[in-house]
Amino acid sequence: MPAPRRVEVNFFRPSTRNMRREAGVAWTILAIWAALSFGIPLLIWLAGLTDPGKLGRSFMTDTIFLGFPLHYWLIAQGCTIGYVLLCKLYCSLWDRRVKPYSTVSGKSPRW
Amino acid sequence: MVTIARHLCLVPTLVLICLPGAALGAGEEIYQVEQGFKLIPAIIMMATLALYVGVGFLSKVSDTSGYWVAGQGIGKYGNGAAIASDWMSAASFMGVAGLLYLKGWFGLGYIIGWTGGYVLLLVLLAAQLRRFGKFTIPEFLGDRYDSHAVRLIAASVTVIIAITYSTAQFKGIGLVCGWIFGMSYTASVFFAAGVVCAYMLISGMSGVTRNQQIQYVILISAFLIPLWILIRKAGGTGILPQLEYGRILAGLMEGHVAAEAGGRLTGEDLIEASKVYLPWGTGGTIYHFIALVFTLMVGTAGLPHIMIRFYTVKNEDVARRSVLWGLFFIGLLYWSSPVYAAMGKFWNPLGGAQVADVIILSAPERAGLGQAFLGYLASGALAAGISTVAGLLLAGASAVAHDFYATVLRPESNDRQRLFVGRLFTAILCGIVIVTALYPPALIAQIVAMAFAIAGNTIFPACVLAVWYSKANKYGALAGMTFGLTMTLIAMAGWMLRIPAFGDTGILPATSSALIVCPLAFLINIIVSNLTHEKVTAESAMKMDDILRRLHNIPDEVEGSGSR
Repeated sequence: MPAPRRVEVNFFRPSTRNMRREAGVAWTILAIWAALSFGIPLLIWLAGLTDPGKLGRSFMTDTIFLGFPLHYWLIAQGCTIGYVLLCKLYCSLWDRRVKPYSTVSGKSPRW
Repeated sequence: MVTIARHLCLVPTLVLICLPGAALGAGEEIYQVEQGFKLIPAIIMMATLALYVGVGFLSKVSDTSGYWVAGQGIGKYGNGAAIASDWMSAASFMGVAGLLYLKGWFGLGYIIGWTGGYVLLLVLLAAQLRRFGKFTIPEFLGDRYDSHAVRLIAASVTVIIAITYSTAQFKGIGLVCGWIFGMSYTASVFFAAGVVCAYMLISGMSGVTRNQQIQYVILISAFLIPLWILIRKAGGTGILPQLEYGRILAGLMEGHVAAEAGGRLTGEDLIEASKVYLPWGTGGTIYHFIALVFTLMVGTAGLPHIMIRFYTVKNEDVARRSVLWGLFFIGLLYWSSPVYAAMGKFWNPLGGAQVADVIILSAPERAGLGQAFLGYLASGALAAGISTVAGLLLAGASAVAHDFYATVLRPESNDRQRLFVGRLFTAILCGIVIVTALYPPALIAQIVAMAFAIAGNTIFPACVLAVWYSKANKYGALAGMTFGLTMTLIAMAGWMLRIPAFGDTGILPATSSALIVCPLAFLINIIVSNLTHEKVTAESAMKMDDILRRLHNIPDEVEGSGSR
């Protein structure tokens, strides 16, 4: 008897339509997550490279935003507020793009 | 003088260790905490503790599903609050503000690391873990990889994290009990452990979760209320302190401080004060910042007692939404900690670790809120410690009782026996934690600081590949997990031996090792899995496929229809 065909799951090559939708939503969120978590610090670093004192002083630290120095606000509140909104976005993307095509309990999902 | 300074050992204090002792500056006197029995605060604290035990009694359970995962009937706000209070330890309640006070901008890395990790958890794991829908993380890994070895490694990591992490909580709990009841450290350990044990044994997860919801409300309100008064004292309008402190912070960078602290800093002092809030003013570099953030994120997403939360909810919809709410609830604390830190700088711009350690505890006195509020704040701090300990102990006990006893050792045991063993191990674990808290082994502080690196290097890669890569098999998982664990331990050893490469500014900082190790652990798992693809038996492959179908809602193969 031939071995039954294996289930195929790969984040980069989702094999079913449902999985493709799930992975698509995940990719969108992860891209924004990476931009927030690593993009913003890198931007602050790049801008501060010209500081002769090597402390990272730049237009980012001199600009005032909502009363804060911009570089401080972006990390202390910009990122964290961004994460909460990302979670919200994930939930609504899921409701729009994934849920209509599958059942919650997983009893009879459509292909 | 402040005598309790160095008891707040957890992540923050580990950073503090390398800092020089406190230089006493102006304004020191408003950063003091008095020891000894205080009647009204003590009554308030006893009342909240009685409440926890009462709630535990009201939600008592009689089966294992109720004990381990609260019968899977918890809603999004409830689970969100439980996630938040599981997360917020005595250390994040009291220590993060101090950490930010000392580390300035660089310290914000902890805040984004600890919040951003939830996004990873949500996107990559939350819904799938709920679909799997059993009791523990070791169970998930063991079943998915069809390997008892994987199960046991995961269970050991869970137990080690649970024990060391709860031990560290008792330092904070001891501090608070000493402050309110004038209790010795030994007495407060027994006292707090007694309370946790009492309601946990009676009620299991459902009582723990219900209590965590109450504890969240107490801890967050106690944390937030002093801010509105303090910001007015610092010259704000007192409408939204979380936005108003920006002005104070920008002023600090220019040298504007409180009149009591001299009003205006000049010369060396000015340079010192503004340096803290510049990106690299406290000695870090962009590499260390990103390594720290990454490690805390994958660590957060890989901590078993956090992940177990997704088993307790009604369905995967609730699992997703409870992360949203949990993160918002955690955010409330982390949007406010920097306010305390900035106001600490405002009144005492050049203080050291001694000021940093008591920023939160001294807040009600500075705000003039009186004795009753002092008790409430202490209850909040205690709630933070107790709720984290409860969540950890339950995760640890389930790893032993469920994954070892009920799955490996005695698969034939019935539900009543399992529930008994569950309670037994909860009590045993509580006993172990009491012993380690009283006689802390030398390694405790190090392991706690490493918890995020351990979880991020072992559990996280194994879980993500378990969900998202069907080819990943037990050989790959074992290789990846062993590698992650070994590298973390090597880095830890190197750090303790003070080898510069593993130090705070080294190339592979022990506490931020995941930026390098975690991707390698992924890679090793993938490569080894591909190499050993043929070795997986048909029976084992079938079991793994069953789990994968459940994780991704793939219907069972219909005879003759092919797979697509």
